[in-house]
Amino acid sequence: MRFAGLVENEILKISRQRRFRVVVFILVALIGLIVFAQSRGRERFLGGKDWHVRTQERMANIQNWLRDGRMPASSQRWSRFELGRLKYHLERDIDPEAISGPLFTRAFANASSYLLLPLLAIVFASDIVSAEFQQGTIKILLTRPVGRVRVLASKLVALMLAITLTTVFGAAVAYAFGGIAYGYRGWAAPVLTGFRIGGQSFDPAGVRSIELWKETILVFGLAWFAMLCVGAIALLSSVLLRSTAAAMGTMVAALIAGSILPRLASQWEAQKFLFVTCLPLPDYYSGSPPPITGLTIGFAASVLAAWAIAALITAFVVFARRDVLA
Amino acid sequence: MADEVLVAEHLTKRFGDREAVSDVSFTLHAGEVLGFLGPNGAGKTTTIRMLVGLARPDGGRIRIRGLDLATHFREAMVHVGSIVEAPDLYKYLTGRENLTHFARMLPKGAEDRIEALAAMVQMRERLDDRVATYSLGMRQRLGIAQALLGNPDVLILDEPANGLDPAGIREMRELVRRLAGDRGISVFVSSHLLSEVELMCDRVAIIHRGRTLASGPVRELLERFEGDRLLVRARPAAAAAERLVAFGASDVETSAAGDLVSARVDAARVPDALRDLVGAGVDVYSVERPDSSLEDAFLQITGGETV
Repeated sequence: MRFAGLVENEILKISRQRRFRVVVFILVALIGLIVFAQSRGRERFLGGKDWHVRTQERMANIQNWLRDGRMPASSQRWSRFELGRLKYHLERDIDPEAISGPLFTRAFANASSYLLLPLLAIVFASDIVSAEFQQGTIKILLTRPVGRVRVLASKLVALMLAITLTTVFGAAVAYAFGGIAYGYRGWAAPVLTGFRIGGQSFDPAGVRSIELWKETILVFGLAWFAMLCVGAIALLSSVLLRSTAAAMGTMVAALIAGSILPRLASQWEAQKFLFVTCLPLPDYYSGSPPPITGLTIGFAASVLAAWAIAALITAFVVFARRDVLA
Repeated sequence: MADEVLVAEHLTKRFGDREAVSDVSFTLHAGEVLGFLGPNGAGKTTTIRMLVGLARPDGGRIRIRGLDLATHFREAMVHVGSIVEAPDLYKYLTGRENLTHFARMLPKGAEDRIEALAAMVQMRERLDDRVATYSLGMRQRLGIAQALLGNPDVLILDEPANGLDPAGIREMRELVRRLAGDRGISVFVSSHLLSEVELMCDRVAIIHRGRTLASGPVRELLERFEGDRLLVRARPAAAAAERLVAFGASDVETSAAGDLVSARVDAARVPDALRDLVGAGVDVYSVERPDSSLEDAFLQITGGETV
């Protein structure tokens, strides 16, 4: 009846299911593939020039495009941002295209926070309640002398642990593979972060230099937070739909829609209140211009947290009250 | 009363407009096996789901050892072990892991009972195999072990014979009788098979279309509802039929083959009826009181309404 025992149960169930091995496999295979493909393409892209020269050439190109004036507004915004970012790197004498194992690790957090990491959170969360319904084990689980709220709470804790473990494991695999290709050193190197776009122009006010290891921890922390929020929402869909396939399908559809939406309809500002739009927290924190005006890191994190809390409250209320008839 | 282990009072459950269970009441006494008999769809499973707290009654009250289930769920459920519908367990875990899992949800001491219970249900050798590899009978037995982990006073079993082969059914029956006899556990067992209930239970409550129609000791009920049919193999059949009619038997019929007479005779008057037949010079080859099916019993109970 100890709560720790309940959590232990949930961990046992997560770890003994095949999906756990699938997630591990996906992370290893995917990161391996990314590193391999990237290190191949990179040599051709860099062409052996000094990075100062290369960066100046890129800036000149972007300026030409901007002067040309045929660029759509959203691309103009992005171009100005990129111009400012490159300029800053030149001034501080930091190669914007530099790569190392640690840099790759950070880049992985940015790239995977849209889709891959939330997807893995969904894989764990969407069957955590529905599987009990589908297996029929819910009938034993809820007829033990343990309140339903405690049962669901233990599942939530186990889910959070699984998500944390996935984040740490993803970072470790990224570093391991990145290190093979680019070397394991460079955690202390400075990186520039906090690039922002104010209205249509580049805003240098937030730019600062930070040691890479700190930045990496921060960025993975943000990705982890986003995963937790997605996990909470997926938990709700698992409670409501009682079918793993339906819960996972719904969540994946939402994720994909969310990753397309800002590109297709960046003018629709209200989408900044959707949780899927707010998922790439690491990007909003450190890098690229937000797709929607007004979407700052603080705003996005608050929106995600609000969704997660609302989802959890609904999940707990429904789970505690609903009859189990299936 | 201390003797009343589980009391259901006026249970009602509605699904939309349909009343699946209406005003169902019964009492389970200490150490007895109570059968809950009814055809499929009568409301047995819905009632059981209310008994174990899976579904909330729309009306009525459930008390387990005097504790109201609606307000004292956890305290009440400490005393209850159950298998609702199928013995569903985690197939990807071993038998032992399943038992450990559910033991963790019980007060201290449940984990220490795993070995003894596994031995009792003869699952010791297979305890470390995954449940996916078990036969249905083995799952049913492991399910019973699971239900007994908390050393319950009340065992609630929903159609425990379902899907088992005859040997498995007998094993289950003996286990239930042993639990009630040796350990004094009160067992509430639902079934749609009259013969099952007759062999396993001390008392029976009959449910039909969501209502309890009758309850009482098994033999008494059986006699009351369907105990009066007699099959007599005799020659000449026509003379036998004539005598039985004269004796006051009702529904007298002669089979097509011509040597079998079926009639309704009060259980107490059967010896007299036979003496009468023999006295009239009819050769009697055999006399049977066939187990009438539950459907027959229900036809009588419900006054000809089909199940």
